[in-house]
Amino acid sequence: MSTAALWARRYGALIRAAWLVDLQYRADIALWLLWGIIEPAVALGIWWSIASAAGGDVDGFTQLDFARYFFAVTLINQLTQAWDAWSIDHWVAEGEMNYRLARPLNPVHEAIADNLAYKARTGTIVLLVWLLAAWFWPIVRLPVHPRRWLLAAVAIVLGAAIRFFNGFAIGLLAFWTTRATSLIELQMALGVFLSGQIAPLDLLPHPVAVIAHYLWFPYVIAFPVSLLTGVGDSASSVAHGFIGQIVWLVVWWGAYRLVWRRGLVRYGAVGG
Amino acid sequence: MSHAITAQDLSKHYRVKVRDPGLRGALYALVSPRYRDVTAVDRLSFQIEHGEIVAFLGPNGAGKTTTLKMLTGLLYPTAGTVTVAGCNPWTGGSAFKSRITLVLGNKQQLLWDLPPEETFRLNKAIYGIPTEVYEAQRTELVDLLGLGPLLDTPARQLSLGERMKCELAAALLHRPTILMLDEPTLGLDVTAQDAIRRFLLDYRARHNATMLLTSHYMADITALASRVLMIDRGRLLFDGSLNALVARTTPLKRIELTLAEGATPEQIARFGEIHHFEFPHATIDVPRDEATRASARILMSGAVVDVSIQDPPIEDAIRLAFAEAANTERPPAPPLVPLVPRP
Repeated sequence: MSTAALWARRYGALIRAAWLVDLQYRADIALWLLWGIIEPAVALGIWWSIASAAGGDVDGFTQLDFARYFFAVTLINQLTQAWDAWSIDHWVAEGEMNYRLARPLNPVHEAIADNLAYKARTGTIVLLVWLLAAWFWPIVRLPVHPRRWLLAAVAIVLGAAIRFFNGFAIGLLAFWTTRATSLIELQMALGVFLSGQIAPLDLLPHPVAVIAHYLWFPYVIAFPVSLLTGVGDSASSVAHGFIGQIVWLVVWWGAYRLVWRRGLVRYGAVGG
Repeated sequence: MSHAITAQDLSKHYRVKVRDPGLRGALYALVSPRYRDVTAVDRLSFQIEHGEIVAFLGPNGAGKTTTLKMLTGLLYPTAGTVTVAGCNPWTGGSAFKSRITLVLGNKQQLLWDLPPEETFRLNKAIYGIPTEVYEAQRTELVDLLGLGPLLDTPARQLSLGERMKCELAAALLHRPTILMLDEPTLGLDVTAQDAIRRFLLDYRARHNATMLLTSHYMADITALASRVLMIDRGRLLFDGSLNALVARTTPLKRIELTLAEGATPEQIARFGEIHHFEFPHATIDVPRDEATRASARILMSGAVVDVSIQDPPIEDAIRLAFAEAANTERPPAPPLVPLVPRP
């Protein structure tokens, strides 16, 4: 069997197993999805009201812009979201990392496959919800623009990779501390503001927006959203966005490798 | 041919946080944490041949599971060297991991919500097992372990014994030649324990597999292991067969006698030290290597109508060995040579 065929089969089997497990918990899927939709829906409702009260727009963002923005946020948040820090924390604390380390497959691949399975599932549902909404509510329809959609797709993949390695690296801190998930929860709370989930970055107070641009948060949601909705798709902002994504991907991938290597040496193989 | 497993001066030291009880202790630990070094494994050296079944014996916290995990590559040693299946467990990569398997009696790798068949398929892909090898091995394992009716039932609905059988099958699909078994019969009923033991012996016979196991059930040790490594406080106390261990710790054998009419304690005392005398039964202790000859002489004397030579329970022999070790002062450990492992 060639190396490519081996890896294709491994990923195929891991994704299949993840889907089979998910199908056991249909209510769980619906609840997580609802959680992912409610947050941007609430934000949209608030900004819609503010724009309406302000005479139709807020700093140049019209109600139409807000509607498209938060539909895009919902989709891109689902497609880039990563829950791996909690999984790793559980694996380490409960001793389930042991058999994973004894197999000829780095557990990172199981996590990547799980992410792909999760994203294919929830992303498809959110996309269908968007298409359905667009059928009845024309203002959330996006102009057909294949080049921009292609760029957005690349940005979504890079954003998902950044969030994945960021979550995986922080999750691996479970090798040292039992509080790794607290760190990721703190980061998620910051991310709600700094990634553009609660409001477009241009509407944040200037100092907060400046801080955000020096961190990875805008590159995982705000940048792909801007590409998808066509706001700020000048050549320079697109180049700046992709360079930022690549830099942060390298940073978090490097962090994952470093923590992985050191964590294995540190590992206490608890729980049997 | 090289050994299946070689460990040389293997050591593992942990640093654990210590704190006094109560709120004051908790606050003090917060501002000024204190640590204590624990020696889990202390300069263990041993070799295991291909096809051998070796058991680790020792009380809780003796270092058995820690050693097993170092041999599997899960834990990095503080010092020492290990070769398993010709590989260094920490740098052997996929080649090493495809030759071994780890079964943890208190943890499972089966996909909890899915039938065992799904875990089998997943392992086929992860280990890259060719379809024809997989089918042959799967058929063999399903037959030997009697898994047929279990394969389509979600793992969470199987009994503990059924789950352990499926665990073993999942762990052996890639035909490992070295099996690390940590409490493989933990919590199982007697019938299920027996089935697992018979299966393991059969697997060894078919594949000349090497097995290293830990168990608190003496029946596992006596049924499976041809050799035991006795460990206490991380140090190797004994390496040899169970019989040799028993002979070393209990130099006497007990002979149970059914007395003939009129037999007296004085008559019986000529053959050994009387342990118990209450007509028509008596027991005497004799040196282990004289037990057979003494029995023949007693029978010929006419003072008894039946004799039965008893070995002391193995548990007693082991308890004595640990008690002996506890009374022996440990020599100071030499300075450790630190490892710089490369993942």
